[in-house]
Amino acid sequence: MGAAKWARRPASGFLIFALCVAACTPNHVPVNLEFVVTWQGQPLRCNETGIRLTDLRFYVSSVTLIDSNGIEHGLEMSEDGLWQHSGIALVDLENGEAACVNGSPAMNSQVSGTTTAAGFSGLRFVLGVPFDLNHANPLTAQPPLDDAAMHWHWRSGYKFLRAGVATESDGFWLHLGSTGCEGTVQNISGCRSPNRVLVELSGFSPTTDRIEIDLAALFPDVDLNDGRRGDCSSGPAEASCAEPFRALGLEFGNNTAASPPGSQGVFRVRR
Amino acid sequence: MKRALTITGVLAGLAFACIVYRQEPDTYAWQLPEGYPPPFVPADNPMRASRVALGRWLFYDTRLSGNGTMSCATCHLQSLAFTDGRATSLGSTGMVHPRNAMSLVNAAYASRLTWANPLLARLEDQALTPLLGDRPVEMGMGGREAEIGALLASEENYRTLARSAFPDDEDPFSLLNAIRAIAAFVRSIVSYDSPYDRYLAGDLGALSSSAEKGMDLFFSERLECFHCHGGFNFTDSTTHANTTVEQVGFHNNGLYNLEASGAYPADNTGLFDMTGQERDMGRFKAPSLRNVALTAPYMHDGSIATLDEVLLHYARGGRLITEGPYAGDGRLSPFKSEFVNGFELSDEERTNLLDFLAALTDESVLTNERWTDPFVR
Repeated sequence: MGAAKWARRPASGFLIFALCVAACTPNHVPVNLEFVVTWQGQPLRCNETGIRLTDLRFYVSSVTLIDSNGIEHGLEMSEDGLWQHSGIALVDLENGEAACVNGSPAMNSQVSGTTTAAGFSGLRFVLGVPFDLNHANPLTAQPPLDDAAMHWHWRSGYKFLRAGVATESDGFWLHLGSTGCEGTVQNISGCRSPNRVLVELSGFSPTTDRIEIDLAALFPDVDLNDGRRGDCSSGPAEASCAEPFRALGLEFGNNTAASPPGSQGVFRVRR
Repeated sequence: MKRALTITGVLAGLAFACIVYRQEPDTYAWQLPEGYPPPFVPADNPMRASRVALGRWLFYDTRLSGNGTMSCATCHLQSLAFTDGRATSLGSTGMVHPRNAMSLVNAAYASRLTWANPLLARLEDQALTPLLGDRPVEMGMGGREAEIGALLASEENYRTLARSAFPDDEDPFSLLNAIRAIAAFVRSIVSYDSPYDRYLAGDLGALSSSAEKGMDLFFSERLECFHCHGGFNFTDSTTHANTTVEQVGFHNNGLYNLEASGAYPADNTGLFDMTGQERDMGRFKAPSLRNVALTAPYMHDGSIATLDEVLLHYARGGRLITEGPYAGDGRLSPFKSEFVNGFELSDEERTNLLDFLAALTDESVLTNERWTDPFVR
């Protein structure tokens, strides 16, 4: 899939333009959400001295924009056959190079679609894949849900978020997804810890702002100079998960619902 | 005349239909003895000789690993009843797996796959983890899964096998089909030709008198082995085509009791790792005991070297580790199975039990040409 995305991405801008000619009536206002990754507010890349990115891929769903009157407008996500399908988008901010060697060359920093209004001052979305699609067979799923690197075969469901940073001799990574699922693979009845993150950003305007993911806020207690590489696979007993989960507004170990709105501190408005 | 022609036509059509019909079921001959149930087979991956044939090549193909160094067979050697003889297995990039490679013999009858995953009921779902998983990296194809479909399309042998195995697919060269074929091959590895099976079939000389005594001990309430290792496949997590009530069992057998809290080492907490429920700490599936004499070392982490030591472990009712990071008395674990209570066992009885367990070895599995490496000619 990686190579196909790489080849086809440049066409999407034109596609959006072409669709707009046909459909951009006042009721179909195009909206682009742009994501950027930082460490303590500074841009973070795979190819870096000091602290570097090793991975950052995540699913975004249930995107809603909020206008100045507080009215919510759902984003009608476009279908591009690669990054967006059925209201779910995969954002991929690693390029497979240098420290991101286990990633893929294809990148996607945008989520795009249309809304029925304009002039927004707030954004809400879910970091994660909705339950129904989360537990279907990944081998027969449509892109971007066909990405095996994003699927958790032994837990069932997708890794909603893969994020990692490293220094020369140290590192930490997080795989976030639903745990404590019941039933059997492809016949899951529910999960005790859904671990979907509700992100709410007030004061956000898609025309002037980007969405910043500050990995220093996701990994607040990780010492990247003690030589002890760490990781969190969302396991209910993994002590290393406690801080990243808190940063995402998720209860750790016994979560039964999406996090309370706005309680996460990892996704921020960046002007 | 016209009518005769019509009848001839109908007959010809029927004959043609029969030919088509007769060609259609490219079925699989299980070669099971009388009285043994056929395995459960998922409706979306019916057993076909052609699928098993394709799966056999893929199972032994090192191109299914990211660096070309390992195949499924690297951790599942036919000569060791499809285990690898290691305490814990080694991935293609050198990462050590926390658990011991399980035998694939009669995996077709496992109601749950791997050591402690309540979600994995089908080989088709399980196969994705060793192929694509990254914690630890096993075969290391994660992110490179498109190469597996490409491999099927890349050479005449695979093209022919894949077209034959999936004749209804316009493009049969997919990861999905590779997984189905590997699952069909693994499902085909069934064993019923041990001395114990021959004994059950009426050949009373197949078991020595010592093994016969061992059998009585094994099935006794005094030792309680059969509560978890019962049934025709010697595990309580067994299913088959005629199963009405699903059987799934996970048990804490008192291997660890860290800090007297009942805890297991962090990378091997068993069912707890999946459920997060305290009561699930240290609960693992009771593996099938078929060919158990060949599958040392034992337990989920390979931490017991010999079958004799396994018997001593159960006789004590849990393992005492006196020092080191895993120190603790497993016998006193609050999460231990009610069937692991310890028992007195004389030296002669130990020998009897070992003789019985050795009689569960099906030598034919180790050499049967249906499951040998097709790359070796």
